[in-house]
Amino acid sequence: YNIVMRSWARKGCLQRINQLFSMLESVGLRPSLDSYAAALECMGRNQSSTKAVWRCVQQLKNDGFHVDELFQKCLFEEDEKEKVLRAIRIVQPNYQLPPPPKPQTCKSSLLQDFYSKEKMVPYPKLDFTVQELQERFQQQLEMELDNTITIESVESTKPLTPQAIKARKLLATLRSQWHDSILQALQKSKHSMSKLKTVSGYNILYPYLCLMPDEEYVGIMLQILNTLSPQGESLAVLARELGSKIYNRYITQRKLRSRQLEKVQEVYEEYIHLLAKDSQPDRYLPREYWEKLVAEAGFGPSLNLKDCSWPYMLLMRLGMHMLELLVQAVKVPRNVLNPRLEPRLIPVLYHVYSFHSSWQVGLIKPHPIFSQIVSDAAETLLTFNSSAIPMLCPPVPWTSPHFGAFALNDTKLMRFVDGAIQHQLLLEQCPPVNLHPVLDALNQLGNCAWKINQPVLDIIISIFNDKGNEKLDIPPPISEAPRPPAAPSNSSTCNKSQKHELLLYKKKTAEMHSLRMDALYKLSIANYVRDKVFWFPHNMDFRGRTYPCPPYFNHLGNDVTRAILLFAEGKPLGPKGLDWLKIHLVNLTGLKKNNALQERLEYANEIMEEILDSADHPLTGRKWWMNTDEPWQALACCMEIAKASRSPDPAAYISHFPVHQDGSCNGLQHYAALGRDLIGAMSVNLMPCSVPQDVYSAVAQQVEEFRKKDAEQGVKIAQVLQGFVNRKVVKQTVMTVVYGVTRYGGRLQMEKRLKEIDEFPEEYLWEASHYLVKQVFNGIKEMFSATRDIQNWLTESAKLIAQSGRTVEWVTPLGLPIVQPYYRSRSTVVSIWCAVCPLPLPWKPDTVKQKNAFPPNFIHSLDSTHMMLTALHCLRQGLTFVSVHDCYWTHALTVDVMNQICRQQFVALHSEKILQDLSEFMLEKYCRAPMLICFPSGSSSPGRETRALWQKKLMEQLSNVPKTGKFNLKKVMDSTYFFS
Amino acid sequence: IQSLENSLDGQLKVIYGDFFRLDPLATGTVKPPAMCSDKLFETMGVAAVPWRADVPVKIFGILPQKKERNTLWRLLFALYECSSIYRYGRAELNIFISEKEYQVLTAKPGEARAYQALSVLWQVGCEIQLLHTEPWSSFVTNLKNGGLAVPKSTWLPNDHLCLVRLTPQQNLFTGGLKPTNSATFIFMVKQCLAKPKSRLTDRLNSWSLDSGGKLLRELEIPKNAEARKLYPEDYRRLFEALQNSNMFTETWFHDEVLESIRNINL
Repeated sequence: YNIVMRSWARKGCLQRINQLFSMLESVGLRPSLDSYAAALECMGRNQSSTKAVWRCVQQLKNDGFHVDELFQKCLFEEDEKEKVLRAIRIVQPNYQLPPPPKPQTCKSSLLQDFYSKEKMVPYPKLDFTVQELQERFQQQLEMELDNTITIESVESTKPLTPQAIKARKLLATLRSQWHDSILQALQKSKHSMSKLKTVSGYNILYPYLCLMPDEEYVGIMLQILNTLSPQGESLAVLARELGSKIYNRYITQRKLRSRQLEKVQEVYEEYIHLLAKDSQPDRYLPREYWEKLVAEAGFGPSLNLKDCSWPYMLLMRLGMHMLELLVQAVKVPRNVLNPRLEPRLIPVLYHVYSFHSSWQVGLIKPHPIFSQIVSDAAETLLTFNSSAIPMLCPPVPWTSPHFGAFALNDTKLMRFVDGAIQHQLLLEQCPPVNLHPVLDALNQLGNCAWKINQPVLDIIISIFNDKGNEKLDIPPPISEAPRPPAAPSNSSTCNKSQKHELLLYKKKTAEMHSLRMDALYKLSIANYVRDKVFWFPHNMDFRGRTYPCPPYFNHLGNDVTRAILLFAEGKPLGPKGLDWLKIHLVNLTGLKKNNALQERLEYANEIMEEILDSADHPLTGRKWWMNTDEPWQALACCMEIAKASRSPDPAAYISHFPVHQDGSCNGLQHYAALGRDLIGAMSVNLMPCSVPQDVYSAVAQQVEEFRKKDAEQGVKIAQVLQGFVNRKVVKQTVMTVVYGVTRYGGRLQMEKRLKEIDEFPEEYLWEASHYLVKQVFNGIKEMFSATRDIQNWLTESAKLIAQSGRTVEWVTPLGLPIVQPYYRSRSTVVSIWCAVCPLPLPWKPDTVKQKNAFPPNFIHSLDSTHMMLTALHCLRQGLTFVSVHDCYWTHALTVDVMNQICRQQFVALHSEKILQDLSEFMLEKYCRAPMLICFPSGSSSPGRETRALWQKKLMEQLSNVPKTGKFNLKKVMDSTYFFS
Repeated sequence: IQSLENSLDGQLKVIYGDFFRLDPLATGTVKPPAMCSDKLFETMGVAAVPWRADVPVKIFGILPQKKERNTLWRLLFALYECSSIYRYGRAELNIFISEKEYQVLTAKPGEARAYQALSVLWQVGCEIQLLHTEPWSSFVTNLKNGGLAVPKSTWLPNDHLCLVRLTPQQNLFTGGLKPTNSATFIFMVKQCLAKPKSRLTDRLNSWSLDSGGKLLRELEIPKNAEARKLYPEDYRRLFEALQNSNMFTETWFHDEVLESIRNINL
């Protein structure tokens, strides 16, 4: 009703609005604040009589609303607010807008210092003037207004062959033909839809095809055609992509039309003063400053668009419709590559099904003729969504779950899984002040400015454009693929091994293609921003783990991508910086893992000659860097060490190089701290120790002890396993214990390891792996006794909660509400023929997933909390800080400070009563309200008694918090290898 | 079994191996219980005979429940390309399969859910005889909890194991179908029945065959026929007709057929 009212209000038809009000009443609904806003807007537009306005305001008050609320809560677009205000002033000429709400401050005990006004320090400045930042913002805005950006790929430096020129010409002709035929098909389908009178599936789509000029739709369809890989793509993926491209385009238009963009622009230009070097220092956080500016400008909540997200099914339907148009409209003459064939038009895209045991997947594949032309043309322009490129100006700070990151592109604070919307609702219900710490942490990560390590990028591109190098993780071009085995004319005439060879070849080329394209995207984007300073806006997953938004090129990428990233800000190395660079280098090699820091440093000094040789002659010298774990980062580090050590005063050398500190088995660290497990804490380096401890070896040792005992007692399988128990065998299982690996999965892992050992007798595989996994679990139980208890408690609690028909929810110590988005899959048929939208079914939790995923998710929510706390406190100390989950980056100068903060925050976090708080939260959440129990179908519904029994069981489970051990948490402060 | 062999004066010969892991696609040495069919047949002393000759060997067994579907596809593929056990002629299988798979193998057009690509291909390939049905409870299974490993079935009845005799058709390769082009036939049937309710003409059109209507008319298949309404024999005739048009020579079709082989044999 409100949507229709708003439209009439825009047209000034008060009579229609009055009709709608009576309709509301007749169906027993009451007008909401938005209904009154629409009515008043209309009156303001019409300059209605005092009496009419007065009556409306009176009715508003009678319904329990207040005039001020209109301006505090309604999301106004365009001139709506002015019109409402005008209407109000007809009856109250002196009416003043309500003052903006007072900013609230987060009360979390973990952040008392951080948010205290007395200790507030000025926000760190960037090395840019206001003017420069505003120009960059303009560039960013222009890029986003175009929605897509087309850049030169790094392959464009290769010379053009005559064949390529010919193919490009052909492709250009074809594309213009396709453009016309797609346009025609679109118009035709729209026309036939508009004729339909009944409510059918087609009619549902029709309005969505009229949102923008036809050309926009055609452009989006052509884009999809250009990016289709020769192997084809699943129907569902393509449909979703098409649907969301249209949605994004539409949102951009709406933001333009509703003047939302103008407002953002206005605020941003002021906001930039906080960060620019030539303005007065302000003691604000980015979020606070933005909120202050918004309040001062009187925009209130109107910076947010009214909710207009499209349901998943709609995106899919729309996408399917476009795909079908593409399949029908895009054709190519069959003889285009071979003039001897008859000139017949054949479709460029076709449907085909692929079968994977019992699954079948619908695919869209391009015709080989098309793939051939595209590959011949070797086009060197790449088109990306503007959100795939790092931002050219500091991101818009997150101020709410809907607002932040890019200037225009719609970005969600929390990434969603499979169309689940529960977490979004949860965030909306959460008091905004509770989200402040999380928003501030994300803003802090996003505000880190980056630049490109050009020498390293150039070396990588030179290898990429030459023949690639699989060992160095530079994917070779398809031309380097092994020759295809002689293909027989008919698939069945070849024998088994030929066939096998052919299949391997096909698999290999498909893999090569996707790896190559992935690297091409990353390197091309890096190359595009090679002379620029850029930013990665961040958001998070449902557990609060943070991720940069641009998908291809970011610091979470592989060795190659990480090696080409530098902090834009430089800091002197200081007295210990060079040593940290050297230790960092040794860490990157993967050598000396079990040695003390001092020994790693000594080792680096010993091989200084190799390091300098690698830096000076990376491709022609002795190539020491190539044989390390992370060769490209190692090379970049060699170059940095060379430059620093050769500078007259290394301590004054300005370094942009990020130095990493890694948590050692971070999941187990959190478990050990939660459970205060003494032995466990020692083995994951929570206790100070002269050399780093290795939890995998420790578990292997423990298992070996068990085995010996059993062997002595004559257990056959224990005897068979003599000499086979080692670190390698147990490593994967220990690592995945944190992530909830079950005995079943653990046994499979063991079996795999044992299979790799040639001498191990095959007939004992099952028994041995079964025995080993049991002993590993026992070993972990012995070492991390409280850990297992905690894990079991979490699992059991989740099981009971899910069985009672609810999803598992909790709140992190930083106040972020979390809900596990696992529901029983509801298969949805995506078909363009499907006429009626199915009614949305209630979401039922997936019990198994809710249960098994709770422990790892809970731990992840803790590690993300630890990271955010570290990020915020690093900000207070003026450090540059970014993270790759449990790997923290900062300048060489500030590694020591960061290490200290990281430990402090870990201690602070685990000094909270985390499990107690969780228990209390869940008791409140799950044991107060009446519950609904999902019994297996067929059994009779539970009586009141059984229900009470369940309630009691759940209550007992949730209150029964596991006991903890004797580990003294403070010890972490002095542990060198906690993060190293 | 070994002691049985010893006491039977050469009437029984025991060879260790898993019949359902014959001729694995992966290269490298074949370790028991997997084995190669040529070795097995050599040890058994069975020589290859022409396709139209009498059944050269009879095989009895129980299909492993866990991978029933997969095994049926593998056997089917071997049958159509005359490889593995079918290299020696029309090997006769006498196997216990679950009732629900039996329903699929013998389903008639229009039987919703049951009539699938597997039905068409087995019916074209073999004579299917039901020898005996036996309730699940008669069997001992090796499940850890001692229960029966009865595969779950929602749509089809599944209360028995069915002893089924599968005898390859003598005339399987007398028409246009050959061991060399049978992969294309299998591919075609699978693609058609991937969406049983879709119309055949739509399928033919999406394969860029523009004379589809004429072809169907000649085969006396109604223009709006759905894929699930066609008899196995119709599919065979459709294939032979398409073989004569030159559709299968289109490169993409050739590639797709190859792809499908991979998916079946893995």
